[in-house]
Amino acid sequence: MHNFIPSAFTLLFSASPLLAQGAAFQTPGMPRQVYGPPPEEASGQASRFSSVFNPAISFVGDFVGDYQSGAEEVGWNAELRSLEFGAQASVDPTAWAYFIAVSDGESLDLEEAALHYKGLGERHTLRVGKFFLDFGKQMQTHVHELRTLERPLVLREYLGDEVSGTGVQWDYWFSADDKTAVRFSLGVFSSLLPEHEHGEEEEPEAEAEIAGRKSLANLNYSARVTGFTDVGANGTLQLGSSARFVPDFAFVDEQGGGEADGLDNTVWGLDATYGWKDDTATKSFTAGLEFLVNSGAVGAELGAAPGDAPIVADGTRTGWMLFADHGLDPSHSIGLQISRAELGDEAGSDATEIEAYYTRYFSEFHRIRFGLSTLDVDGEDDSFRAAVQYTFFVGAHGHGVNW
Amino acid sequence: MAMRVLTLIALVLLSLCAEAADKLKVVTSIPDLADLARRIGGERVEVLSICKGLENPHFVSIKPSHLVAMSRADVFVQVGLSLEVAFVPGLLENCGNPRIQPGKPGFINASLGFAAIDVPGAVDRKLGDVHPQGNPHMNLSVEGGAVMAANILKGLCAVDPAHKADYEARHAVWSRELDAALQRWKKLGETWKGRKVCVYHQDYAYIIRGYGLVELGSVEPQPGIPPTPSSLAKLIAKLRQEKDVCLLAAAWARRSELEEVRDQAGVTLVELPNMCAGLPGTESWIGMMDQLHNRLAEAFGKQKGS
Repeated sequence: MHNFIPSAFTLLFSASPLLAQGAAFQTPGMPRQVYGPPPEEASGQASRFSSVFNPAISFVGDFVGDYQSGAEEVGWNAELRSLEFGAQASVDPTAWAYFIAVSDGESLDLEEAALHYKGLGERHTLRVGKFFLDFGKQMQTHVHELRTLERPLVLREYLGDEVSGTGVQWDYWFSADDKTAVRFSLGVFSSLLPEHEHGEEEEPEAEAEIAGRKSLANLNYSARVTGFTDVGANGTLQLGSSARFVPDFAFVDEQGGGEADGLDNTVWGLDATYGWKDDTATKSFTAGLEFLVNSGAVGAELGAAPGDAPIVADGTRTGWMLFADHGLDPSHSIGLQISRAELGDEAGSDATEIEAYYTRYFSEFHRIRFGLSTLDVDGEDDSFRAAVQYTFFVGAHGHGVNW
Repeated sequence: MAMRVLTLIALVLLSLCAEAADKLKVVTSIPDLADLARRIGGERVEVLSICKGLENPHFVSIKPSHLVAMSRADVFVQVGLSLEVAFVPGLLENCGNPRIQPGKPGFINASLGFAAIDVPGAVDRKLGDVHPQGNPHMNLSVEGGAVMAANILKGLCAVDPAHKADYEARHAVWSRELDAALQRWKKLGETWKGRKVCVYHQDYAYIIRGYGLVELGSVEPQPGIPPTPSSLAKLIAKLRQEKDVCLLAAAWARRSELEEVRDQAGVTLVELPNMCAGLPGTESWIGMMDQLHNRLAEAFGKQKGS
């Protein structure tokens, strides 16, 4: 026994440098977490409080003040549309990861949390986690990053305002010639339906829902192929085609309990974008077109009585959006966007949205936007909106290839 | 006979292809580096610059041809000092070319070893579009050329050691041209000390500091921040108190603001090159710096105080 105590102390002290770097509690059998980097001052060892490998963080504030008439709600309003908080860092030499959480002041939603794995080889990227749908030129982008106040009508109607799915996506690009790059992506997800909006009081409606567990064939799929090329010395042209396939979902009357299941929906689209900058790279012109076809179960209305299955509109709807943006200089831009879509109701009614805007950039990270928009929906009063959007970006930011 | 001719033609074509394939593909961020790479690399290199001579390097957009060129490059040369932060990180990440990633021999940081000015003590966007490593426009420093060329020489030798002697010989020739140019520039600039200037952006800070010019203000209230009506009014009021002031600006600077300052403050607007291959006579880095000095000398020479 008298030999046990010194031996125990010896063991304890010899183990202490390792303990100093480990987690407070180590689950038996699990891999040891080793924190931290290079030696710190007093201990000569890294500790769990080392911050040198902390991720780059950022946040974005997006405020909108507006007046609207002709819509269900008339009058003035001001709101914090979103406060986005994000962090990103390298995981190891082959991968980097990030997350983006967004709050509207009432709830906090995780919009993206994903890892980009680059270890498959040159030009391949495997993206794993929760991230935005790769469709057309705009769906990968958060709303506050768009050139307009809102996502175009046709994208909102057919895909959703923001669509992030949990799954995996493989990207690859190659050069077709000296001036042309081609990229494609294939993704498989648990769900590519837009998440229900929270905190908004809306009239009861049939919500699209998808089963938590499903067969391999009933997973949701996305695909995109796009090529872009130089046009002359100062221009670029990009053409793309995208598809989103939801093979099995249901429309649910959440209040009445009725459900129409076994539905499917496919959206595919074509996009074309032309961009130009002058010789000094300060004046720019961009124009784009997206054409979408929405087919299958395209919408639903509540059944006649509580408990009845929603009445599903089945068929094909088409819509498009067209925009032109002129950067007068790096600080000022103006633009116009028109979007038209056949809606997902049995009557096949149409809606048209027109938005004109002016954006003033105080700096790269700080801007104000003035927008005027009209929305004309068949069978409803036309609505008008005048809005001021104020957005700032703080912290880490990056520029990449806009595929 | 026909078979022999065909064989001969095939061999010639093959040798031409082999020669072309043997060349190092060099991509540079700005045309100044492209000129230096051509001078040092000679026939051994094929060089493409991403940025064009009149562009604002802070606002360059990536084009498909840039991505393709980067994916095929043996060597990539950048200024660094965060000058190309708008486009280089995205290109490096997306091109998928391991040969030119930072830390690899094919990645050349041309500002390595250059003592940048205006290194901020604390990095804060209150200071504008601040560059943590200091003023990045070292391509407009008379000392910058030698540093850029030395780094390019070192990089080419590392990637292609078999032709080290060729690169060193060409570098030596260029260095002699630089020595002569430095004498010209020194002679032109020796009378400039105390000359008053105003700038649009901080791209000529090395020239201003190097020759002892007096900078009275900047159209951009902070680097990269566009002026507001009140900041312009303050600048104009300040410049009105002074005489013989030159307003130095690159081609990309906003003309309407330059003309407002010129007309209301009575200063002399001097358009200067900010990179090679923009204005006439600036095809080479030395030629560009010659143009810059000559235009400054001409502007100062026309003033009453000269």
